[in-house]
Amino acid sequence: MKVNGILIDDTFAEAFGMAGTGVIITADTMKWARIAATTMAGFGTSVIGAGAEVGIDRELKPEETPDGRPGVRVLLFGFSPEAATSQLKTRVGQCVLTSPGSACYAGVESDKRIGLGQGPRFFGDGFQTAKRLGKKRYWRVPVMDGEFVIEETTGVVTDAVGGGNLIILGNDRAGLLTTAEAAVDAIGGVPDVITPFPGGIVRSGSKVGSKYKGAVASTNDAFCPTLRGRVKSELSPDTVAVLEIVIDGLTSKSVADAMRVGLKAVIDTGAAKGVTRVTAGNYGGKLGQHHYKLRELLP
Amino acid sequence: MSGLTFRLTSAPKERLDLSQLTPRKLSSTPLAQVLKLNVGSTKSGLSLGDVFAVSGKPGDTVRIESGSARLDFVGAELDHGTLIVEGDVGVSAGRNMRGGRLEIKGDAGNLLGSGISGGEIFVKGSAASQVGGLSAGDKFGMTGGLIVIDGHAGDRTGDRMRRGTIYIRGKCGSFAGSRMVGGTIWTELGFGADPGLLLRRGTLIGPSVEQMLPTFADAGRHDLVILRILSRYMSATLGSQAPKPLPTAVRKYAGDLATVGKGEILLTA
Repeated sequence: MKVNGILIDDTFAEAFGMAGTGVIITADTMKWARIAATTMAGFGTSVIGAGAEVGIDRELKPEETPDGRPGVRVLLFGFSPEAATSQLKTRVGQCVLTSPGSACYAGVESDKRIGLGQGPRFFGDGFQTAKRLGKKRYWRVPVMDGEFVIEETTGVVTDAVGGGNLIILGNDRAGLLTTAEAAVDAIGGVPDVITPFPGGIVRSGSKVGSKYKGAVASTNDAFCPTLRGRVKSELSPDTVAVLEIVIDGLTSKSVADAMRVGLKAVIDTGAAKGVTRVTAGNYGGKLGQHHYKLRELLP
Repeated sequence: MSGLTFRLTSAPKERLDLSQLTPRKLSSTPLAQVLKLNVGSTKSGLSLGDVFAVSGKPGDTVRIESGSARLDFVGAELDHGTLIVEGDVGVSAGRNMRGGRLEIKGDAGNLLGSGISGGEIFVKGSAASQVGGLSAGDKFGMTGGLIVIDGHAGDRTGDRMRRGTIYIRGKCGSFAGSRMVGGTIWTELGFGADPGLLLRRGTLIGPSVEQMLPTFADAGRHDLVILRILSRYMSATLGSQAPKPLPTAVRKYAGDLATVGKGEILLTA
């Protein structure tokens, strides 16, 4: 169907169950909270190659954080709670502990808990101390600018969703990128979701498998405009570029909400910028347990 | 807020053990049997009905309308509900509490909150020695929960305390946090002499110390994030009754270096 001059495919995005966890990183200023969060989220694009999908959910005002300082909530998604724990430990140890003035707290509340400060505390070399206040336990690790405070555990949910997506096609590469950016900005307002790829946008959508042994994924040739004519292309003759937005969320509803606002942003302004079509990635519905039909997400 | 109310019919002639008067114990005991509970501490066999008039129905709240320094073990083993005492209490109020809320509108005797592992104790007046301390046979004193004292606290507050928080709006006596293993003691008006004697871990916070032990090392002034968290925790727990947030910079004394030395005295002034 066409909406506002843009063709919306009658298809669905197919997403998978994941383990989702998160942290709140605070610092003396928002600048440094953001730096620590961005560093932690770095190389957290695809769980296949990066071990975890990591991104910033939102920035937090001082009154929203455990220590009254500016903060950023980072979400991390992995194949299992164990995989998420391992990624959390290394990323917090390397990127948050090291960042000036930082502190790190549970960012997801759930009955199921995984270790957060249980690894980084050993950096204290025996000088670390614990402080329990109510039901929460914090570690205080002496570092060169004072103390790194980190909560002992954070929550993890096993019914999180990874791989919600929108694939946007257009006849103007710059206009397509601007539209995709607007969609990512809109998704940024939805709580409990991240768009883990660079700037929230993927230009290298993949298909399962490869002609090369050992590669589990390879370029999605059907959506590559330069291969039109050589392969069974999905693209119309006027399509010059395709971008994808991948969405992970702590709940299925949050992913659906994010796709809905992203789709709206594309439909609202995309046609004037050369967007011609929106579709979604799926595997025929056989692999992922979550299906998000585009027609049900239309504004 | 339904519950039983107890009122002393005359001043007790002996010390009374009121450990039976918790919402859980009373809800499972018929009123006739409640009146027969032995609360005396001598051979006289004093029963509860001999010294208290009882009204109301069992519920989540127990109210003792009249206080006395001879009312011992008030709120002992409390694990849910609320126990309110309109006046003073004797020794070991809130002994081994695990949950719930104990409100004492007067003063408390020795060993307030001894062995408490959860719940909240509020004292309008002052408390005598060994708040959150340990009784004979205990390995540790307080291991969790929150004790708030509007007045002053006596000597050896937090003796062998392991976890939890004691907040004193007034002054804290001598030897606060002696042999302490963890937890927090926060006084608004300062500590008496020699706080933190053999302190292993844990935090003592106050504006001043009458006399600092020589086995504490001045570690300088610091902006400690954990204090912001503590202030937030108190604010979330006590609402409008919460203390003013701690200052961002405090002077830290590390000790007791005669033992493990991972404890600290933080001076706010």
